[in-house]
Amino acid sequence: MRLIKQQIERDGSGIVTLYPEEPEDMWHAYNLIRVGDTLRASAVRRIVSESSTGSTSSSRVHMSLTITVDKVDFDSQAGQLHINGRIAEENKFVKIGAHHTLDLELNRNFTIGKAEWDSVSLGVVREACDPAEKAEIGAVVLHEGLANVCLITEHMTVLRQRIDMSIPRKRTGSISAFEKAMDRFYETIYQSILRHLPVANLKVILLASPGFLAESLQKYIFAEAVKSDNKMILSAKPKFVTVHCSTGHVHALNEVLKSPAVIARLADTKYAKETRAMESFFKMMQTDEDRAWYGPKEVERAIEKGAVGTLLVSNSLFRSNNMSERRKYVQMVEEVKASGAGEVMILSSIHESGQRLDGLGGVAAILIFPLQDLDESDEESEAEAAVDNPGDGGLQ
Amino acid sequence: MSRHKIVRTMNLADELDDYDGDDYYEEEENEGMSQADKAKMADGLRRVREVIGDDVPTITNDKIEETLWYYYFDVERSITYLLMGATEKKKQKKTAAVDSSKARATFWDTRDSKYWRIDPRNIDNRIPPGVWDDIPFGGVPICRLAELVPPPIPVGARTTGLLGGSGPQPGKVSKLAALAKARSKAKAEKAAEVAGNDSSQSTTAVSLLNRLSKKVSTPIPVEAPAPMPVTPTPAAATEYDPPASESIPQQNDKIPTEKTRPNFIADPDSTPKALPSGFAKSMFGRRLDEMLLDLDEEIADAQLIYFSVAPSQKAAAKAKQGFEGPSPDDVVIAAQSQSKGLNKGQKAEKSSSTATTSIQKGVDGLKIAEPPEKPTAPKIARKKIDVVAEYEKSKAKRKENANLVVIGHVDAGKSTLMGRLLYDTGVVDERTIQKYKQEAEKIGKSSFALAWVLDQTGEERARGVTIDIAVNAFETEKGRFTILDAPGHRDFIPNMIAGAAQADFAVLVIDSSPGEFEAGFNIRGQTKEHALLVRSMGVQRIIVAVNKLDLLHWDQDRFDEIRQQMSQFLTTAGFQSKNVSFIPCSGLTGDNIVRKPEEGLVSWYSGPTLIEELETAKPVAKAIEKALRMTITDVYRGGVTNPVTISGRIEVGNLQIGDTIIGIPGDEKATVKGIEVDNETTEWAVAGNNVQLHLAGIEMDHLKIGDVVCHADSPLVPLKEFEAKILAFESLTPMMVDIHRGRLNASGRITKLVATLDKGNGTVTKKKPRHISPGSLAVISILVTGAPLPLEKGSRVVLRADGLTVAAGVVE
Repeated sequence: MRLIKQQIERDGSGIVTLYPEEPEDMWHAYNLIRVGDTLRASAVRRIVSESSTGSTSSSRVHMSLTITVDKVDFDSQAGQLHINGRIAEENKFVKIGAHHTLDLELNRNFTIGKAEWDSVSLGVVREACDPAEKAEIGAVVLHEGLANVCLITEHMTVLRQRIDMSIPRKRTGSISAFEKAMDRFYETIYQSILRHLPVANLKVILLASPGFLAESLQKYIFAEAVKSDNKMILSAKPKFVTVHCSTGHVHALNEVLKSPAVIARLADTKYAKETRAMESFFKMMQTDEDRAWYGPKEVERAIEKGAVGTLLVSNSLFRSNNMSERRKYVQMVEEVKASGAGEVMILSSIHESGQRLDGLGGVAAILIFPLQDLDESDEESEAEAAVDNPGDGGLQ
Repeated sequence: MSRHKIVRTMNLADELDDYDGDDYYEEEENEGMSQADKAKMADGLRRVREVIGDDVPTITNDKIEETLWYYYFDVERSITYLLMGATEKKKQKKTAAVDSSKARATFWDTRDSKYWRIDPRNIDNRIPPGVWDDIPFGGVPICRLAELVPPPIPVGARTTGLLGGSGPQPGKVSKLAALAKARSKAKAEKAAEVAGNDSSQSTTAVSLLNRLSKKVSTPIPVEAPAPMPVTPTPAAATEYDPPASESIPQQNDKIPTEKTRPNFIADPDSTPKALPSGFAKSMFGRRLDEMLLDLDEEIADAQLIYFSVAPSQKAAAKAKQGFEGPSPDDVVIAAQSQSKGLNKGQKAEKSSSTATTSIQKGVDGLKIAEPPEKPTAPKIARKKIDVVAEYEKSKAKRKENANLVVIGHVDAGKSTLMGRLLYDTGVVDERTIQKYKQEAEKIGKSSFALAWVLDQTGEERARGVTIDIAVNAFETEKGRFTILDAPGHRDFIPNMIAGAAQADFAVLVIDSSPGEFEAGFNIRGQTKEHALLVRSMGVQRIIVAVNKLDLLHWDQDRFDEIRQQMSQFLTTAGFQSKNVSFIPCSGLTGDNIVRKPEEGLVSWYSGPTLIEELETAKPVAKAIEKALRMTITDVYRGGVTNPVTISGRIEVGNLQIGDTIIGIPGDEKATVKGIEVDNETTEWAVAGNNVQLHLAGIEMDHLKIGDVVCHADSPLVPLKEFEAKILAFESLTPMMVDIHRGRLNASGRITKLVATLDKGNGTVTKKKPRHISPGSLAVISILVTGAPLPLEKGSRVVLRADGLTVAAGVVE
């Protein structure tokens, strides 16, 4: 992403014009654009014109439209962003208030106007426009009969394909069905890698499984590549790394990304850092319970007391449509930053580590000194709150 | 050279030898006697001979080879076996019939011939002494008689014009064929008359059937078979009549073989009844006289060993003629292949008890070339069996089947112990074990041979680790047992859970060697994890097999130390002490598993062996009246007739053929076409049975391993989110977990920690805890990531994360 123009007033309102270059930028845009913002982008709209005689003709017209955002919809598989809204600036073709859905396109400018650009939003812009080298990795996590082919970029984990096959179990006297099915399973994974992973551009391709499956898969891939003389795979041979994990479900990526073999190669990437931070939080939870807290209320209290050393926030919280809630989290982030002692990490909710954090309510903190009973008073107020708002459970 | 010259110069024995050999050569390949095996055989034979010497008359080459084959080329064992056998043989020999020295006969031991041809030193046709020892001359069992196979005949040498692809025009039958037809018709009628007088009705029916097939087939143009070479030697003029041999109980056949040999029967028309010559008399003695006496009666039964002695020219010609037409065999085959109505005819005959002629008419009336009925999808009838009542009835005579799961730390020797158990109970034969031993030695893992009985995939053998559950069954006098050999490696615990979910009780194998027990018993060892898992899956009875004690010279102190530590742990894990027992044993040597250890070896132990202890374990009573629930453990193609077969253990309820079932969470219905319980077909099955269900009306893709089979009218409702009461093994926070239930393995997320409970009385100690510490009881709520899971109240689930079992519990 490139920052084309930034015009922010003293009161925080203003516009930012951005130029998206790659699919990942759509993810950043998704994190920036909120309900209520204005968005100006190029669009194609079908215009029906009626002549004086009453006959109609329709034509497709390219134009720039400004809308007030009603709904933001992100398709992570395709990397597309659809923004639904009402026209905010009239032109000769459309009237104010008419509905339109803008599909943001790569390599076309768009302009976001916000009433309030907070530090988190500006942080997203900064991050999105950071020209640092991108490290993308491919990962295949599998166990017998299940494989997930994923693409992990700096800010996103995209599940490209899930392979779920029924593999007959070994039975006395008949193992050929099992072995045949396993071969078919490997073949499907191999084809999926060829189709869904840009092998040449990836830094590493991780093959992770319990037991010996990953090694067998690696062997199979190279045997096949030799057979079909696939130069691309053969030249990428050193990129393939086998890692141990305990299951083939996607959440095993957490385990994969913290394994030493991966850390050695990808230490500086954002997702490796995020994974590590989550890991240290859980470790703290086990060793020193009172120094690891999660949930909005608990963390809020810890911040009040100035105890937070590391604040982990999922960016899903900043996508909230509730302005006051969003402001609350922004405030928490700013407070921790201001205290000087604390470090803030905003985790991408589309990564596995971010999803783990979402499971904890989206916010967690590692404290500098132990605090007890942060949740005690919570329970009491909870009892009161439960009367008028039974759905509010703290962790959602 | 003219045809009869060939015949004259032909050495019958050689010919028979050759064709026999060819014939069996094919069989050999089927049996899998490879080139390498043959070389081994020759080598083994030489070595045995070196030890035994050539002069022991009772030990023949073939016997040695057979023994070698049985012991899979283990020379020493073969020798001991042979020497032991030699003494017994001598006794038998006395009772055996006389006069074997001159014997130069036309029959051949089926198994002998194949090895004689392999060993080059034996090519000289000399029959080793003692071959015929156990066979009275003339009383050769039919199973050992040789089959005459026509040699390929050069085209020019053919005597009749009936051969080749240019078959005669339909309707235009050659003279010879017509003659053969007329003769066979006449003969059949005559036989029918005789049979008609016979009281036995079944004989009548079948002989009629034979006639039917012949009669029916006559208008069908049949390609005539090659004429048999006629050999003017004794025992050549024969005619096959297989249908007869099928229908009539064989009189002098002692050992029925897989391939019933056609009987030599007399054809009263074709051969003269000459008095036996002096030679024959001296050869067959008394037997012959008896035979002649009984001749007339036996002709009626078409069941007699017949031989013509020194046939005349005319007789030979006549005999030859017998082979010119289509042989009855071919006629039958041809008729069967073309006639769809044959089976119908058979049915009609069976039900009818009227005179044979009327049946014949009825049969004639049957159309042969009926258009085949359009195959409609078979509607499987439900017999409406009261399964519960049937089960109660059969309870008394049936041995109860119990499933046992074998668990323990990796390399504790689980598979070896079970391999030993199967070997000693006779499920696996000596030869297979010897084979595994040699193969295992080849890759330097000789101690793994017994484990290979269960570890069958290439990966498992190469790595020496069990990966997936192996299922095997054995039977003792007191009960039937199904072994589920679980993998010990921590990566394959999901598979182990699948096994434990089907088990009635568990055998926990412990490696007693120094350091190994401790390794399995520490915090990350599988001894503890497995024991906790089986307990939380509902297994109450556990037998601890303290293995590898032979390495410690059966050290009692070590055994007691392990017992003390383990019983303490198992008590805390929730096993009642009366349900825990300890057995010292060694899987590799087999001591105290099936057989008691040698006297004095384990002086301090006088308790039961492992198998005796197993027999005391009673399977848990199952709820057979409730609605059917069965987790699918495997979906596969059960063969040509059963394209979709599923297997599993019925957890609750019962099932019978014709039932409509549904695999939850799918919504495709299927009909049960067949049920197999422990590889025997039955009409119904109840909870606790390990079943294979053959299904109709469903595609394989609609059923998945881990699905739950229910009756279509009482299905289970799959859950997307559920609450569970769990026992935490590790610290729990809201997090991603793997949900396991039997073979089912899905991912989910703990969304809420609802409450922790008091272990004693189950009251809530804290609502909404922040995290659940290891060892505590709690209620949590879980959201399934993917499709809803087939769970219901009372289902036992295991939760795992990061390769550890974090909790186990019951769905609320």
